[in-house]
Amino acid sequence: MMHHRVIADNGLKVTSGGCAVAVRLPWYRSLPLSVVDVVSIEFDGRVIDMSNVVFQLEGSSIRLDELRARTTENWFVLDTAYLVLNEKNLEVGKEYDVAVTLAIYPPYLKDLHRVVRTQKRLLAH
Amino acid sequence: MQSASSSNLRLGSTLYSFTTEYHNHDYSFESLIRRIAAENLGPGLEIVGFQSIKGFPVVSDAYADWFRGLIDEVGLELSCLGINSDFGINRDRKMTEDELFDYHVPQLHAAAKLGFPLIRYQYGAGPEAIKRLVPEAEKLGLKLALEIHASHHVQHPVILAFREMYEQVNSPLLGFIPDFGASVHSVPPSFLDFVRSIGVAESMIDLALEVWHAGGNGSEMAAQFYQKAVAMGGDADLILELFPIFGLFSRQDPRDWAEIMPQTFHIHGKFFDFADDGAEASIDYASTLKVFVEGDFNGYMSSEYEGHHWTDADAFDKVRRHHALASSILHKLG
Repeated sequence: MMHHRVIADNGLKVTSGGCAVAVRLPWYRSLPLSVVDVVSIEFDGRVIDMSNVVFQLEGSSIRLDELRARTTENWFVLDTAYLVLNEKNLEVGKEYDVAVTLAIYPPYLKDLHRVVRTQKRLLAH
Repeated sequence: MQSASSSNLRLGSTLYSFTTEYHNHDYSFESLIRRIAAENLGPGLEIVGFQSIKGFPVVSDAYADWFRGLIDEVGLELSCLGINSDFGINRDRKMTEDELFDYHVPQLHAAAKLGFPLIRYQYGAGPEAIKRLVPEAEKLGLKLALEIHASHHVQHPVILAFREMYEQVNSPLLGFIPDFGASVHSVPPSFLDFVRSIGVAESMIDLALEVWHAGGNGSEMAAQFYQKAVAMGGDADLILELFPIFGLFSRQDPRDWAEIMPQTFHIHGKFFDFADDGAEASIDYASTLKVFVEGDFNGYMSSEYEGHHWTDADAFDKVRRHHALASSILHKLG
């Protein structure tokens, strides 16, 4: 079941610039970044402004609106990516309700896309 | 468990069945292969390139040597490599025929390098790109087979276009892979349990099943269902959760697989749930396998569990039951 797999367990890390949420591809195989949309992120029910969110994978930092052009870079199905946010007031050791919604457009299927939302209570570390 | 039957239908597994265990990092590519061998869930082994191999279709010499060595060591037999016909990587337009051709060539080379005799391709490749790949397949000694997956069936216009091309080209390297999700008799109970668990209303489920039983083209049924469900005031997100009914399960008569039997190279033995007596809950395996045994099918059937889309059930338990069911049926069929 992919519904609880978008956010990795233990997936909230406080960083110097804000925080990073660890995310997984909710599909059975690797997909090009061009078919992945990061739809929304919520913290304790509050919707995050997506304009400053950065997608990080294997050392590359990519703005969300740049993902669609990345047709030759694959997100390997076992790898964790990070959504880097300007959430500056998180406290290490405190728990937060985090929800991430991803949409994927499997490139071998006509007219099909999947929207998968995972919500987890995460301990900031 | 292997059948004592005299048929040439041999059993095997695809790693796709173990998506839950693999995605969850409970097993690696290697440890899945080792457990399949240890549990005698081969001898056939099928993998999906883009699932199991990081960087696919690029495969280094060292990786290919390691993989071939592993397969030799554990005693499995490579049945099929699932490749993907990703026509929609650029979401603004479909790949051209030239791009599709170019996209498949390295995947064919990867298959040959890893030691697979056969690749599974998908309808998105289109007949013309596949026709152009035949000389490459000849050079590599590789068979190319189109997966016939729900919502398609042997008489679907998309499939007929490939059948016509096959007739023109008349190559022994071109064939099909029936996927039994295209010949189910009912929607898997675990799927309905799942949609109920996330709050989909019974009235929406009833409507989806009614549209599905009435039959027709998959995307048209989905559109028809969506329209009616919205008119009934259904929740838009929950309505979408029922769409797999129209994409994963088709009601082709299992006997229709006989039409393509001479060109059938491999089988995706799709399954979901088992009844208390060991029968598959939505696919009549006894009738279906009879068609293949009587048609002198010679090849592997990969046990292909797909319930992992909506449950986290133990795939090893599922595949063991599937092997037991298939072995028992093949034994009875002689």
